[in-house]
Amino acid sequence: MTQHLTERDVRDIATYARIGLTDDELVQMTTDLNSIIDTLKPITEFDLDGVTPTFHPIGSLSNVMREDTERESFTQEVALENAPKQQDGSFLIPSILGEGGDR
Amino acid sequence: MAFSTDMGIAQIQAGLRAGNFTAREVAQESLAHVKAADEKVHAFLELTEEAAYAAADRVDAAIAAGSFDELGPLAGIPCAFKDNMNQEGTHTTCASHMLENYVSPYTATCVQRAIDAGCIPLGKLNMDEFAFGSSTESSAFGPTHNPWDLDRVPGGSSGGSAAAVAAGLTCVALGSDTGGSIRQPASFCGIVGVKPTYGMVSRYGVVAFGSSLDQVGPFARSVEDAAAVMDAICGHDELDCTSQQVKADFRAACKQDVAGMRIGIVKEFMEADGLTAEVRERTLEAAAKLEAAGAELVEVELPHVDAAISAYYVLGPCEAFSNLARFDSVRYGLCDEGHKDLGGQYESSRAKGFGPEAKRRIMLGSYLLSSGVYEKYYYPAQQVRTLITQDYTSAYEKCDVILAPASPRTAFKFGEISDPATMYLSDVFTISLNIAGNGGMSMPCGLGRETGLPIGVQLMSPQFKDENMFRVAMALEKEYGTAPVAPEFSDGKAGE
Repeated sequence: MTQHLTERDVRDIATYARIGLTDDELVQMTTDLNSIIDTLKPITEFDLDGVTPTFHPIGSLSNVMREDTERESFTQEVALENAPKQQDGSFLIPSILGEGGDR
Repeated sequence: MAFSTDMGIAQIQAGLRAGNFTAREVAQESLAHVKAADEKVHAFLELTEEAAYAAADRVDAAIAAGSFDELGPLAGIPCAFKDNMNQEGTHTTCASHMLENYVSPYTATCVQRAIDAGCIPLGKLNMDEFAFGSSTESSAFGPTHNPWDLDRVPGGSSGGSAAAVAAGLTCVALGSDTGGSIRQPASFCGIVGVKPTYGMVSRYGVVAFGSSLDQVGPFARSVEDAAAVMDAICGHDELDCTSQQVKADFRAACKQDVAGMRIGIVKEFMEADGLTAEVRERTLEAAAKLEAAGAELVEVELPHVDAAISAYYVLGPCEAFSNLARFDSVRYGLCDEGHKDLGGQYESSRAKGFGPEAKRRIMLGSYLLSSGVYEKYYYPAQQVRTLITQDYTSAYEKCDVILAPASPRTAFKFGEISDPATMYLSDVFTISLNIAGNGGMSMPCGLGRETGLPIGVQLMSPQFKDENMFRVAMALEKEYGTAPVAPEFSDGKAGE
């Protein structure tokens, strides 16, 4: 198996993807990802010069527009129904910039 | 004739029309069968009894008023939905702890259309977590068992949908297919499973996995029942801008024969590594039966199809990584409270909410989209997609439908395949079709000579010519009969 990723790389990816990993999980994830990336090798071996990529299976899509008119939509209450924490009709989150800053 | 949970749509509707039983009785007996039998199968994650009885009462009222025929093609028919489909007031968990307590505030278009067509919605069905898998073993709420052999997997990711139909727990069900998630479980459970052309059925309200690959489709025990579901759910939806205006009449297509149709046999598939002898045998047998019914067999080539699996395992995880970024522990989904900063809450909530396979795919997608790696894998995968699409276009110049195995083997035992990369190979015959966006379905074609387990043959159609494969499927069904309920779960009343 080729070492495509080190544990350090996998830790960086986890941070970027916002997934906490324990040290044991990190070891297993590194093994799994390296093994999966090995199987992707055929993609790197084709002669693809001049081949246009297909980003979407239906070729002839055109932009879909509608009249910009008001419609019924979720009320604020419904939109908040599944929120783990809310306050004063808003989603509640911990501080973003850390605690104890100037107010 | 009394209602039987083995019945198909035509039998149930004839019984309702004749007054042999009421829709309320259909709902009652179906729910009772689920409660008794699902302890063994574990296909259902939630029962929607209130919605089922409300729908049944609407059907009974229509029968009393003489307006039964004005109801849709699924009037009075038990139906259930994969748990990645929003249905207002139900939990839509995607079989993940992440969404364990999420309650849908709205209804997916496919579910709404099935309900509008008169179905009796029984509940929500188990799946691989977020549809990542081919065995339903990755469900956070425990696996589903194959009704033909409870020690084996039902396939996946729509394993709950396939097992529910195979065990007679529901007449029809909806699933979703990103790389084979309808066709492979249909093949493992011996029933009909259809992955329509991308754009045929609205994806609105279906929790997204790979947005350029996902498509919703039916499971049923007969081709005509699958056709009735297709007629109910397909067509343009202004809430999904990739859904297309389609003029299709699947039930009408079922009345056409296959005389003169050209059936393509793909050399690369029939010679593939890992294709078991018994699956190969049944596939060739199905081809011979079609030839005897008046179709012409032609050999076709898909020279780039080998690259489909690797292209899929680049594109799928990249799209999944992007789609699963929405689970932020703020608006909905699991939240691990008590963190002082938002970053800590994100990491800890996503660590607790997602299972191992979901984490692998998110991490893989994140890696593959990073600078330098994107150029090595992601962009070439989209170029390979062009080659695979061109392969299919050339093949369809020579044939109307392609016939292939649905899965290289019959259902495997729990835990038998533990390596993720090996598990991915179980989709070798189904994946290329999602990459190209074409239609495909799995049709039961008997039991394996060695394993005695169901085998499915896959029929594939060009984009938006899905009716073609229904014609061929009907010809096969004339030979093999409609799919039976798995022996252990038949109530034995259908012939009374």
